[in-house]
Amino acid sequence: MGNCFSDLDGGKQAVGGSGGSHQRAQNAGGGAGHNDAVDLFFRTKGLHGLFTQMELSLSASKLRDLDVLSKMLKLNDQEFLGEASSYLSEIVTKQNQSLTLNLHHRDGRSSKNLGTLTVHAEETVASRNAVEMTFRCSHLENKDLFSRSDPFLRISRAIESGGSVPICKTEVVNNNLSPVWKPVCLTTQQYGSKENPLVIECFDFNSDGNHIFIGKLHKSVAELISLHQNKTGANFISPPSGFRHHEKVLKGQLFVDGLIEKQLYSFLDYISSGFELNFMVAVDFTASNGNPRSPDSLHYINPSGQLNAYQQAIMEVGEVIQFYDSDKRFPAWGFGGKSYEGSVSHCFNLNGSPIGFEVEGVEGIMAAYARALQNVTLAGPTLFGQVIKKAADIAGNSISDNHAKYYVLLIITDGVLTDLQETIDSLVRASDLPLSILIVGVGGADFTQMEILDADNGRRLESSTGRIATRDIVQFVPMREVHGGQISVVQALLEELPGQFLTYVRSRDIVPLNVTQSHAEALTQLRV
Amino acid sequence: MEKNSSKTIEITVISGEDLWVNRRQRVKKNAFVIVQTDSSRATKMDTDGGSYPVWNEKFVMELPMHARFINVEVQCKAFSGGNNLIGTARIPVSDFSGGYLPENYLNFLSYRLRDGNGEKNGIINLSVKVIGQENTSCAASCSRPWTAVPVDNKVSGGIVTGIPVPYGY
Repeated sequence: MGNCFSDLDGGKQAVGGSGGSHQRAQNAGGGAGHNDAVDLFFRTKGLHGLFTQMELSLSASKLRDLDVLSKMLKLNDQEFLGEASSYLSEIVTKQNQSLTLNLHHRDGRSSKNLGTLTVHAEETVASRNAVEMTFRCSHLENKDLFSRSDPFLRISRAIESGGSVPICKTEVVNNNLSPVWKPVCLTTQQYGSKENPLVIECFDFNSDGNHIFIGKLHKSVAELISLHQNKTGANFISPPSGFRHHEKVLKGQLFVDGLIEKQLYSFLDYISSGFELNFMVAVDFTASNGNPRSPDSLHYINPSGQLNAYQQAIMEVGEVIQFYDSDKRFPAWGFGGKSYEGSVSHCFNLNGSPIGFEVEGVEGIMAAYARALQNVTLAGPTLFGQVIKKAADIAGNSISDNHAKYYVLLIITDGVLTDLQETIDSLVRASDLPLSILIVGVGGADFTQMEILDADNGRRLESSTGRIATRDIVQFVPMREVHGGQISVVQALLEELPGQFLTYVRSRDIVPLNVTQSHAEALTQLRV
Repeated sequence: MEKNSSKTIEITVISGEDLWVNRRQRVKKNAFVIVQTDSSRATKMDTDGGSYPVWNEKFVMELPMHARFINVEVQCKAFSGGNNLIGTARIPVSDFSGGYLPENYLNFLSYRLRDGNGEKNGIINLSVKVIGQENTSCAASCSRPWTAVPVDNKVSGGIVTGIPVPYGY
């Protein structure tokens, strides 16, 4: 079982077992990235990692009193009383996760006495309990010829039909017969119950994908807890093979050096308690987009109303995130453009104002964008550093007020960066802040360079001063034409956000605002 | 502690990655870290982490106001009895203090280690927090309830690792 990465470093990454260690903010998010084989596996079984089931309770009041003449229950024969509509995200971001809507006529005519409908939404999460374990092995067998084994563990859950379903794997530790892996966090959803038998297999990693089996053992979470408490090890076993008809007990042992039970609050737990996602947007005004008056330009505003690539990206991201932002005032900037004074700016306010950079709502961004196209001359070069620094300043300044804001910067660009190192330096400096950066590439340029910034292969970004990025805060996606009702690539990008947000808050043990101090203290008593 | 002559910081040496000895062999064991401001503290040796050692040791140290860097040195006990220098890193104070970063903010930082010849040799992960000068509780300076940081079983040495809870006084 490996990731769908085509490169070696990607294949050595841990998959599936990350709830965010307090030791270091990991670059793996909630375990559900685009190329996550475990995630794809679960999706085929109808289970979704970051999509949670919602239970909606509906109640109505002050409905019109109409006799129901027909006794049949055909929907079309019923008398229409009223209708209302709302986005699910409008409901779940409210404090009490309830929204009361006025009913109105089908054709939108409002009418006084049609009554109201109240919708209450609740996540059906079985349990928030999770177990974080630090595994170590000793005396593993050497399977490599000229060096030592590169071991990793794969943990699977036994299922009734007799087989097992992999739930996570650790990262690969190179060249070590007594490896210690980074802590693995398993949720109750993943392991079922503490008595459920788990299969823990140890393999020697091989770059060609044929990992060599070292040993396996069967332990439930309860048994792992007692291994930890007694500070003893369990021996690996080699199943019968060849002429040997019995299992062989190996010298290699598994130890559970650390074990913590914790509560993993969900993304919605934080949001409904008052956490906000603040949206910011930066638009590329470099000349490579083409003259906005020409229909070939990426910035062409079509009089028929068809949205260009920039407008599409703004709408798709903005429409989703706006509900998570309480004041709906969004900072909006442009970069690479020249105002009529003549100087090129790499971070100018999209609304044209010399002082304030905020606009109201997604409509505000669209209006400011259209106006800017008329007042700003496209220039260049393509540089993100200043915009990232501005966003980082805003995110950093919010930390001292309270910890309840997380910032999302959307950068839409058509081209290749002129100064990759400057961008990397800004990203490294911003990597420990409550900030995620989504980069959407429009047009047909070669965006390979952007994929370096989106460090999904585990290679952490390094600044020119020797500082290394604390976590991977960048997601990049090239924009594609969307046909039909499929989920667009840009919106799929948004799926990464809850994971990045959770990684940030969990690494600092930040809990939802309505979790009381005594409750949080009680959790520390759960140390096993 | 004199006012205004130094800041108090909590620095946790978390882990190291991809450490080599003499560019030929990976570190097998017994790596440790020395942290230097105007005084020096050293972690215990990591006995089984190999070239990916984990220390998780927290130090409370004084940082003089004029200091611009904290020096971090990773060494490893050599077979012959002395110590091998694995790599050093300099942490600019501006990376965790000053600007918009408030006091009591837990900064997770990572740096490239360079060996005696200036070559790259792995990464060091740490966290740094500036403790308020006026009073050591964070009640005055943070406006949100802090939760306790779980104490890792490996941490020892008698250093308190919890983050103070705001209390009325």
